[in-house]
Amino acid sequence: MPPIPPGGSETVLGADVTFKGEVTYESAMRIEGKFEGKITSKGRLAVGKGAAVAGEVTVGHFAVDGAFKGNVSSSEKVELAAGAQFQGDIRAPKLIVAEGATLVGNVVVSPDALKGHGTAERDAILHQQQQGSQPIRR
Amino acid sequence: MSKTPGRRTVQCPRCDTPMEVSTATKSTPCPGCHRNIRTEDEVVNDYQARVEYYNEGRVEVGKKGNIIAEVRVTALVVKGEVKGPVRARDSVQLLRGGKITGNVVTPLLTMEEGSVLIGRVETGPRRAALLPPAPAPVAPTAPTAPVR
Repeated sequence: MPPIPPGGSETVLGADVTFKGEVTYESAMRIEGKFEGKITSKGRLAVGKGAAVAGEVTVGHFAVDGAFKGNVSSSEKVELAAGAQFQGDIRAPKLIVAEGATLVGNVVVSPDALKGHGTAERDAILHQQQQGSQPIRR
Repeated sequence: MSKTPGRRTVQCPRCDTPMEVSTATKSTPCPGCHRNIRTEDEVVNDYQARVEYYNEGRVEVGKKGNIIAEVRVTALVVKGEVKGPVRARDSVQLLRGGKITGNVVTPLLTMEEGSVLIGRVETGPRRAALLPPAPAPVAPTAPTAPVR
């Protein structure tokens, strides 16, 4: 789990909590239960082991050790721990994938990811997939 | 992977035919599709633009390495650049300064800080459960009589 920044507080959504809706916070949040909706923050978000999160996430630092389904836009870093099950798109300057993590989705990880860098390249790859074009074989 | 000492099992990257070869084997013909398979570990430190880059071994793309191809290998380590779809039977390691532009399919992906990846990724031991179900095959329709 990412450490809480000095002077900041951590909001915890416990294991027995199911939440649907929109959340905005300043410093840090940890989800241990079930969440469905939209999360917006410049701070840190951690999805604990056994947690299930679905929706749109726009945060600074995003760490996943549970299940996540949706799209993530991170201004700092996305970390997938060994127990992570991630399904969706990632746009971040840094991505750390641990051994054992599961990831299925479109990824744009580059220092300029949030400035739209890589979009054209990713779109070209997706277009190629849709067209079903195969490289010429000898 | 190896069954007997000094031997290992490889799979044809084109037709997936398994075969047992000596660990010293550098290349071997596939009994299934009769195409040649490279089985030797390689380090790429130059520019290589090909249609396909197939190797049933460990391929390391060095800092100055640049591969533009459809890549199918056993294990891939990237410190340089790879452009094209990547399928690695064992693992893909994207190290600091490494860049992959293309779709990546592998059971094990590790990425270091400072690496760049743009494309669709399918990785992890439970990735099959997250993939959308394949569309059902279309049943062949009986030929209809031409309209007169």
